Amino acid sequence: MSLKKYLYILFLIPLVAFTMHKYYISLCEIEHNEEQKSLQITIGLFIDDLEFTLNKKHKKTLNLATKQEVENIDDYYQSYLNNHFKITVNNNLKSYTYIGKEYDDDIVRFYLEITNIEEIKALEIINNLLFKDFKEQQNIVKIKANNIHKTFYLTAKNDKGLLNF
Amino acid sequence: MKKIFILAISIACISTSFYAQEVKSEQKAHYNTSKFKQLKDKLPTPNKQHTASGAPGYEYTQQQVDYKMNIVLDEKNNKLFGEETITYHNNSKDNLDYLWVQLDQNMRAPNSKTNEIKGGGPDALYSPSKFTKQFMGKPFQGGFNIEYITDISGNDLNHMVNNTMMRVDLPKPLASGEKFIFNIKWWYNINDYTSIRGRSGYEPFSDGNNLYVIAQFFPRLAVYNNVEGWQNMQFWGRSEFALEFGNYEVSITTPKDHILNATGVIQNPKDVFTNKQYKRYIDAKTTYDNPVFIVTPEEALETEKEKSNKTKTWKIYAENVRDFAFASSRKLIWDAMAVKLNDRTVMAYSLYPNEGNPLWEEHSTRVVANTLKVYSEHTFDYPYPHATSVNAKRQGMEYPMICWNYGRPNANGKYSERTKKGMIGVVTHEVGHNFFPMIVNSDERQWTWMDEGLNSFVEILAEYKYDSELFPMKSTAKDITRYMSGDQSKLSPIMSQGGTVINFGSNAYAKPAAGLYILRQTIMGPELFDYAFKTYAKRWAFKHPTPADFFRTMEDASAMDLDWFWRGWFYTTGNTDIGIKEVKKFYVTNKPTERAKNMAKAYGITVDQLPPSLYLVSEDSKEFDKNLKKKKPEDYNLLSDYVEQNFTSEEKATLKAPKYFYELVFEKPGDLVMPIIVEFEYEDGTKERKQYPAEIWRLNDEEVTKVFPSSKVIKNITVDPDEQTADVDLTNNSWPKNKETKFEQFKRNQIKG
Repeated sequence: MSLKKYLYILFLIPLVAFTMHKYYISLCEIEHNEEQKSLQITIGLFIDDLEFTLNKKHKKTLNLATKQEVENIDDYYQSYLNNHFKITVNNNLKSYTYIGKEYDDDIVRFYLEITNIEEIKALEIINNLLFKDFKEQQNIVKIKANNIHKTFYLTAKNDKGLLNF
Repeated sequence: MKKIFILAISIACISTSFYAQEVKSEQKAHYNTSKFKQLKDKLPTPNKQHTASGAPGYEYTQQQVDYKMNIVLDEKNNKLFGEETITYHNNSKDNLDYLWVQLDQNMRAPNSKTNEIKGGGPDALYSPSKFTKQFMGKPFQGGFNIEYITDISGNDLNHMVNNTMMRVDLPKPLASGEKFIFNIKWWYNINDYTSIRGRSGYEPFSDGNNLYVIAQFFPRLAVYNNVEGWQNMQFWGRSEFALEFGNYEVSITTPKDHILNATGVIQNPKDVFTNKQYKRYIDAKTTYDNPVFIVTPEEALETEKEKSNKTKTWKIYAENVRDFAFASSRKLIWDAMAVKLNDRTVMAYSLYPNEGNPLWEEHSTRVVANTLKVYSEHTFDYPYPHATSVNAKRQGMEYPMICWNYGRPNANGKYSERTKKGMIGVVTHEVGHNFFPMIVNSDERQWTWMDEGLNSFVEILAEYKYDSELFPMKSTAKDITRYMSGDQSKLSPIMSQGGTVINFGSNAYAKPAAGLYILRQTIMGPELFDYAFKTYAKRWAFKHPTPADFFRTMEDASAMDLDWFWRGWFYTTGNTDIGIKEVKKFYVTNKPTERAKNMAKAYGITVDQLPPSLYLVSEDSKEFDKNLKKKKPEDYNLLSDYVEQNFTSEEKATLKAPKYFYELVFEKPGDLVMPIIVEFEYEDGTKERKQYPAEIWRLNDEEVTKVFPSSKVIKNITVDPDEQTADVDLTNNSWPKNKETKFEQFKRNQIKG
């Protein structure tokens, strides 16, 4: 990696933040559907920020949400989510099913599901999506379970939210 | 009939006094907390300079500052040298003891305080150059080196530098109406802005050439106005500028092979262009359809191969501008197109290196032209002779007539839709700044939203005009909900100084723009809004408006009381959440209901003494009789007789009694008041919209009830179906409640697909 590339990474962010109308927020909504015993998760991220992060990580141009998008883009998404979004139910780290994604203007929304969740006593969320490259990134996590609403505002300093019922 | 009327009146009177006695006395008193309270406690008292109508008053004054400058760009050493003569016209009614001059370059001086106020931990990685600059005592030697400051006869003037501001003491106070002429000689090291960030500097290319985008490069007078006195708030790097208008006579010496454009018009084009280029420069002034080259890509490729040791001097004149900037490089291509604006023709120019192509020759100048047209329609015809877009890596920055814009294809010349969208967006935005704040000259240092917010709003309309598919504007209100529903501790009201807010972009750009969009599309309607917005722009063109001038003009020119909107959207961090809580169906009966009976009792009359009336009975109440379902209102003689006696047959033909009555209860968990937009979907699949003005919330901030008569059965009700009001929670927006969540719907469609 040349020095130039280093500089690029370092300085792209402040300059863009400087001039564009931009903010760094993601929204994750988690709902426990008791009837279906399912934990339903949606995560919305800004496409350009995710693209910056994934391109940098894989040293590739992935062209998210364009006609030139790489074919196996969902593999990239799943692997990134698995590394940066973790969910522990009743003290067990759970893996989730990647149901799919949708592009909504400048947002990509992921749909994830954990099945066979009958009862929730404790829920722990780790969400550090995009924190590495965007200092101001704030991940909002809204939880709806056992008729309780709870919102966490996660940042690089604290990427974990714990809810005991 | 008359008797009944009197009885009804007396019932109304009794009822007021009856309920008044019910008020509990242990409740606490409070100040006026109504969201519809007038803004008088927030806005400054109007005066003869900034009037109550929002227009400049007859005692409004404004200074003028003229500059004559000789500038030398030393490409070899990356230094900029300048000698300037400043003529300061004191048009105010006050005597001035000193002048304040802005030294923006000092923000990059080794002793600058800008870095001192930055918090946060260590960076993720440090380049060797950054490491030596930051930790090894070799900081970039930026900042102005002032050689002298003298009066017109060459005598030194006392001055004192306080970081980015310099006080120049006057030999004797400058009286109202007088002028003061003085000279400053200076130089500074130009920064490579790709490594030492900033809105001005140069971008180095791998071929050894630099592209200079030079701004905030000379000592400039601070604003002295009717509301701030001297606006000498320090320049920390983010919050932009407050500047006076004046005329600029500037000569810039560059290497002989450079191509340059600047604020203002080149006075010696024959000296600085080749013969061919000069001819194209003149021909372009009458070419309206498509951009044409003044400097071709081939010429630029040829020129950038070698570096000339000779120089040439560009002579430039700019009239009535608030600032001056220029771009210069031997790598530059220049294309041009004439733009017709009513009785004016102005030039749209773009300067870019071959690295910007093919994206730039396809779009830049066309976007400039589109921006000038759309903005002119919404404000005033663009008064300057040209608007120029310069391609500069990762920049998006505006100056009078000229701006720097990012967006480059990959090395193979290909670019994604997103790169294209970003480039069109930034060119529109920065060219748009010619109107706000270059002409409608608000104080950027204090109120970022007044230029960024207003500009971002017109930008939405201009981009939509350029490419409605790439820039659909429908989601403007919806898009701001993510920011507005964020952590309250990280939000600031729009009415905050730009340097003090987190999420600057959404606070000062996107939120005010979305607010104006909602005002135009949903609250005022385009006709009322556009006239008022244009009135503001025209009133304050070439002047210094304040927030109150904008708020007041928008009301003054539209006869709409918008204080509730300014208060909520601009002065608080609240958000919108309106929902439908309950829906009840009612039927008509001629039997007095329990409620009517109780009313009669309360007033000490018998049920028989109630005036002849029809009553509405709820489907879910005990009094409901299912036979009522079969009855139409006109089946009751009371109504049909009344109609028979009081209307002509033509009138009768147009009367239609509704069959169903719905009582709708709307809830408002959100802090902001907004109109309620409701869509009714009937059993037969047809739809109808109803919009209740925001004032529906004036008596109850939490819940309101409306009776909606209908001739058809309602199947679904949706509040704000097009997401026009920035409603942050849509789960309470439909009736009956959507059983299938968005998640389940998505999952179902995935399985199907």
